[in-house]
This record gives sequence, C-alpha cells and structure tokens, in this order.
Amino acid sequence: MSGQLLRYLGVRLLLIVPTTWILVTVVFFLMRVVGDPITAALGGRLPADQLAARKHAAGLDRPILTQYWDYISKLVQGDFGRSQDNRAITEVVSTYGAATLELVFWALIVAFAVGIPLGRYAATRRDTAADAGLRLFAILAYAAPVFFVGLLLKLIFSVKLHWLPASGRASTNVELALQHVSPKTNVLFIDAILYGDTGYLMDVLKHAVLPAIALGLLTAGVFLRLVRINLIQTLRSDYVDAARARGLSARVVTRRHAFRNALIPVVTVMGMYIASMLGGAILTERTFDWKGLGYQLTEYLTQRDFVAVQGIVTFLALVVAVMSFLVDLIVALIDPRVRF
Amino acid sequence: MLAAAGCGSGRTGGDSGGAGLVVGTTDKIFALDPAAAYDNGSLLVETQVYQFLMNFAPGEAVPKPDAAQKCGFSSPTVYSCTLKPNLKFANGNPLTANSVKFSFDRMLKINDPNGPASLLGNLDHTDAVDATTVNFTLKVANDQTFPAILPTQAGPIVDEKVFPADKLLDDDAIWKAKPFSGPYSITSYDKNKLVSYQANSDYDGLFGKPKTETVSTKYYAGSENMRIDVQNGDIDVAWRSLAPTDIDSLRGNDKVTVKEGPGGELRYLVFNMNTMPGANPAAKLAVRKALASSIDREALSTGVYKNTYAPAYSSVPQGVPGATEPFKDIYGAKPNKTAAAKFLADAGVPTPVDLNIQYNTDHYGSTASEEYAAIKSQLEATGLFKVNLQSTEWVSYQKERVKDTYPIFHFGWFPDYPDADDYLTPFFGTNNFLQSHFEDPRINAELLAEVTEPDNAKRMAALATVQHSLAADFIPILPLLSGKQIAVAGKNVSGVENTLDPSFKFRFGVLSK
Repeated sequence: MSGQLLRYLGVRLLLIVPTTWILVTVVFFLMRVVGDPITAALGGRLPADQLAARKHAAGLDRPILTQYWDYISKLVQGDFGRSQDNRAITEVVSTYGAATLELVFWALIVAFAVGIPLGRYAATRRDTAADAGLRLFAILAYAAPVFFVGLLLKLIFSVKLHWLPASGRASTNVELALQHVSPKTNVLFIDAILYGDTGYLMDVLKHAVLPAIALGLLTAGVFLRLVRINLIQTLRSDYVDAARARGLSARVVTRRHAFRNALIPVVTVMGMYIASMLGGAILTERTFDWKGLGYQLTEYLTQRDFVAVQGIVTFLALVVAVMSFLVDLIVALIDPRVRF
Repeated sequence: MLAAAGCGSGRTGGDSGGAGLVVGTTDKIFALDPAAAYDNGSLLVETQVYQFLMNFAPGEAVPKPDAAQKCGFSSPTVYSCTLKPNLKFANGNPLTANSVKFSFDRMLKINDPNGPASLLGNLDHTDAVDATTVNFTLKVANDQTFPAILPTQAGPIVDEKVFPADKLLDDDAIWKAKPFSGPYSITSYDKNKLVSYQANSDYDGLFGKPKTETVSTKYYAGSENMRIDVQNGDIDVAWRSLAPTDIDSLRGNDKVTVKEGPGGELRYLVFNMNTMPGANPAAKLAVRKALASSIDREALSTGVYKNTYAPAYSSVPQGVPGATEPFKDIYGAKPNKTAAAKFLADAGVPTPVDLNIQYNTDHYGSTASEEYAAIKSQLEATGLFKVNLQSTEWVSYQKERVKDTYPIFHFGWFPDYPDADDYLTPFFGTNNFLQSHFEDPRINAELLAEVTEPDNAKRMAALATVQHSLAADFIPILPLLSGKQIAVAGKNVSGVENTLDPSFKFRFGVLSK
C-alpha cells in the first residue's frame, strides 16, 4: 500500500471520530428536547416527590452538560446505557443487530442482482422501449414506500399463491430449534447451517425472500439508474472507441472495458445507500415482523424508552460512519484518482 | 448435504421438537413481575405461569379455589384461605402461606405506578397463620368483591426465594429462576417476540393438567401478519387483536374457525353533568334520554364492527353475573324518534340540540372513527341533534376529559375482574374515576348495598336495582357496545371456546390439536 493511500485512509479514519461525536451529540440533545424519560413514562401517575426521587436516582436532575459528559464518558467505555426493562443496549444490539444485518445483506444481494444487470441491459439498449420501461421501473422501485411494496408482495405470494411466508425470520419451531446451536450467531441462515438441517435452512431462506425483495428493490432502482447512466457515458469515451477500432465486438467492449469502470460510481454511493437501507430496514422489519434492531427500536419508541432509543440510534450512527470508511477504502483501492 | 462448520459447533442438544401449539397475539408483555404488570399482554403470561389462591375455571365467572383448598370470610373483615398441601414452584421451592403473604405484602410495598396494587385498596394486611393458612384483613367489612380480586393481576403467588421484597425483578432473572407454579413454565423467552412454555408437571390447581405439553406464543407488530399466518396455518390460534374486517373475512374461510365469547369490554358515551347541553338538570336529563332513544346500537355492532362487538344496554355488559338490560327495557332496542322528541319537548329543550362529542382512535382503535361517524349520522337523521365530532390523541384526551373540556366524550373499560361492581362503583360512586360531576346519594346507597350483600341472590337483585336506577333516572353514561372476545383457530384446534369467558383469562391448558 502506498504512503499516499495510507495518508488518505488515515485522514478518513480520523474523520470518523468527529462525525460520530456530532451524531451522538445531536441524538443526545434531541432526546432531551422531548423531555426526560422518567416524566414521559410516569408523569401524571406518580406524586411529584416520587417522580423527583426517580429522576434523582437516574441522574436526570443534574445539569444537562453533566449528563452529556457522563453519557459520552460511558460511550467511550462501550456502555450504551440500559433499557427500562434493565437490558444492556449492547446486548440488545448484539442480539437483534445480527437480524438487521442479515436482512440488509439479503437486500443488497437483491439490489445488486436486479439493479446492476438491468442497468447494464438498459444502457446497451438506450432509447428503446425496454430502456424506457426499465427507467420507469427504477423510478417506481425507488419511490414506492417499503411498506406498500411489502403489502403487495405479501398479498401476492403469501395470501394468494401461498408460496412464501408473510412474516418472521423462520417458522416458530425452527426459531426455537436454532436457539440450541453453538456458536450462536443470531444470523439465522448461518445458525441453520451450523445446526446442519437442510429443511431449517430452506425455511430460513424462504422467510428472507419477501423482506429482502421489499428492501432491496428500493436500492435496486438507484443502482439501475447509476449503472445505466455511467455505462452510457463510458461507452462514449475515447478508450472505448479505441477498443472498438481494434475490432472488438460490442459485447466484449462492454464487458471488458466499459462495465467495470461504470461500476466505480456505484461503489462510491453504495455506502450512502447502505445507510439508507438501515432506515428502510426499520420499516421493512415492522412490515414483515422481522425481529431485528429496527423492530426493537420502534418497540422502544412506543414504550417511550428514550435511553434505549438513544443507545440504538448511537450504535446505528457508528455503523454508518464505519460503513462510510469501508466504502472510502474500497473506492480508494479501485480508483486511484480519489487519493489526490 | 450440510455439515456443521468447524469443530465444536452445531446442536447443543436442546429441544428441536418444535413449538407445539402456536398462539399469535399483538398484545405486548409489559413485565413478568406481577408487581409491575397491569396489562393484557402480561396477563396472558401470568395466566399460564403463576398460580392464584382463587381463580376462574374455564367458562366461569365466579372465582373458585386454585392454590387454595378453600376460602371464605372467617369474620366480616377477615377473609381466610387454606392452601393445598405440598405445593411447589417449578424450581422446587415450596409454595406456602409465607409465599402468599410475601406476594401480597410485596405488591403493596412496591406499589409500582404501572402495577395493579390499586386493586388491593381494601386490603389492610396479610398474615400467614401457619404453613397452609392465610388471613387477609380488610379495611371495609363484607367486601364481596375481594374473592374476585384474588384471581386478578394483583394476585399471582410468587417465590419469596427469587423475588426481592421491595423492588422489581427483571424478566430475564424471573424466567431463568423458574418461580412458576401455574400450569406452565417458561422454557425460552424472547420478550414480545417468541415465548415458549412447557407444561408444569408439579401443577396442582383449578385448571387441571394441560391438554398440550408445549405451547409457544408468537408476537406480532400488527394484526395483518397474524391474520395471514392463521389462515395459512403457520400459527394455530390468533388471539387478540384482529381488526373487525379481518375477522369478518375469516368467518368465510374454510381453514379456520372464528370463536366468540363474552368480552367484558364496554364502550360508552360519558356526559359531563356540568357542561353538556341543557339549560338545567332536567333539560340535561331530557337530552340524555333523547340520546338513549336515538342510538341504533345494532347498526354499530353489525355495520361498523362486523359483529365483533355486541349492543350494550347496561353499564354492566352481558356475560358478567348480575348484568341486566335496562336501556333496552326502558328506551327500546331500536331507535324511537317519537319518544326522543317527546323527552326534549317535555323539558322545553329547543331542537336541534348542538352536541360536541369527543372520541379517541389511538387508544380505542382506529375503527372508532367509523363508529362515531355512524353515531353522528344516526343522531342527525332524527332531526333532533346537530353533531360536531372531534378527535384527540390519548395523552391529551386523558388530561382534558377531567378538566371539563369535553361535554360529551367516548370512553371504554376493560374489567379488572368479572364482577358487576367493577363497572359500577369506580364510575358512579363518590369521587368516581370519570370525574364528570355525577354523584347521587341514592346511587351511593344502592352501590354500598350490592357490594356488602353476602347473599348471592340478594346481591344480584341489588345489582339489578342500581343498573335500573342509572338507566331510568340518571344516565351518567350511555352504554353503546360491549366487546366480544374473539379468537381465530385452525380447524384442527379444539378447546378455544372453553376459555373465552368473562374472566378474560386465555388459558393455554384447554387448547389441543
């Protein structure tokens, strides 16, 4: 690895700290704007003195900056706080975060499998009816709300055709059985492989299909448009003309020379869309009763468990920051121009 | 062919025998600790895993001994129970009179704002006389509702060796310690996601041996996925809460059966005696009587709620012992425009009467919008009323309703226990919960008479008297609908109908497939 690349990555790595700090600070103060969690949960149901005693016990009667410093100090030590039902947020994240990552993983596969080939196809058939149709599809896929797409998918594949399950990560008996696997990853398809039961694995995969499509289509539309426009531009470039002049067929030119370069911008924005996928995952998890971190976050929101919400949002912010760094790393490796 | 990846990985020898019978629900568990739980989701779990001194046998609304051999008043202020011998919790710890005393003392000591300690308002103290005898000393003598309070969420018996005496215990610590003496014990617990139960072989109680060894509860964010799963056979029973339209569509489905039972939930209109329309008390009463003669409850039940609610003609819903139907007797089952007009004319009330009615959708369900739209059109169709509807979010609604902001408002009630008094004294007695400025010495006397009457036949008569008085002479509330309990089950599931009773306890032990 060259010194230039290392310097570039070092700067990007250092930028994670202020980025995360700003995110954490915004989350902390936003949570305080809506009031303290004790009053939100118990206000009106406890006498004022008992309410004050509980606030004191929770440290919520201290100056806001003291609370902030305390929160940041604990965060640095890996303490994200505890929920109202006394669960460590780190444990909540490790338990349910795996489910969300699993969903995002499958959704990304859908996004790549649908967006990239169709983008390439649309680019090579520019201004035809197929191209117009695919562009329309891309816009609709991006614009349609996840829950609406999810409802449609369930209506067709679960209610009408009975091909796929409508909700959950696995059938109840499979979920219970997979609790007895070691080491338990909480990523069910890995757990099913470790368990060594093909039927269970198929059950897990079948449950992942509809949520993955609902969430994946959102990003597939973006990928389709990006690949299409970049490939069209690349096919007009001088080096592609030179390749054609050497007598290479259109297919070879596209595959060997244009397509890889057209993918670079896709990788560049991928990090951003993975972050938006985490947002989409929250809605997807509710729609499909996929019990992941997004689902748990909405549970805590309805319970007004602000400490838990704050902890999970902070963790998600960290994930986004790390994702951005990884994407920067990948882009730097495949596109030397970004280091300058 | 799949192979377990890596050395030492794979199955750990746990049960892979499956989920047994699967029950779906949208009700959420608030807490496993009885001192912190006062909600339907927690009650579902408590019904399976904890034992009570007294309980409701399937299909019945009169409490009978459960962990107790017998219970009764040993003096006007002492209610005494004798426990069955050799009771124990699933962890092997003995369940004795000390456990009972500990449970009730703890409930009162912790007095958690989210908990049910308020139900024990008439309990002065509890004594463990010996290993199997418990005495409850009451503040008010001859409280006939006390036996019905023992099976409520205030009454689970907990293990004094597991639970701390003065603070709450978190769910994980509870289920892992197995302090359960009910029909089932929890074997795995993923809160509000998936909970599995195994029949408790040591259970010695009212419900008898469970018909199904293993039961799992699957939790849903909303009713839609639960409906799909029950009709696809992915779950065996869908229990609370499916939307009326879902239930209506499932009635015609040949893969499932829709089971109904008396629900106990009551929906009604509350009148603020000070701010409701009417120039004087007589005019206000005339307006209330005219409204009682104008509402078509049957149309609300069938048209809006698809028969998931039944018309209610009393402050006490049908199915609760002692319930009568005075509104039907006095004002008729169908709207009577002529009678309504006469009530108003006789009191000199000019028509149309302007009514400002508040209702709520985020606490009482989104169908409330349709319900109140139907009420508005029913009332305006008489030509006697002009209705202005307003909806407010629950947190504000709760605050404003007690500040005289709403002259007429929508309200609902789930019973704490299936006794008629639970629908009467809290709402029509002195300093009542409704805070609508209704109070009357005659009603107070009638309420006291029914609460303290030890003879059951006389008590039923006293309950009928107070219900009639409220409907004929006061109408502080106008009952509209009572909710049915509805469960949807696969065709191969039996026993569901046995547990749909006014006790509101959904007992897994009676289910089988």
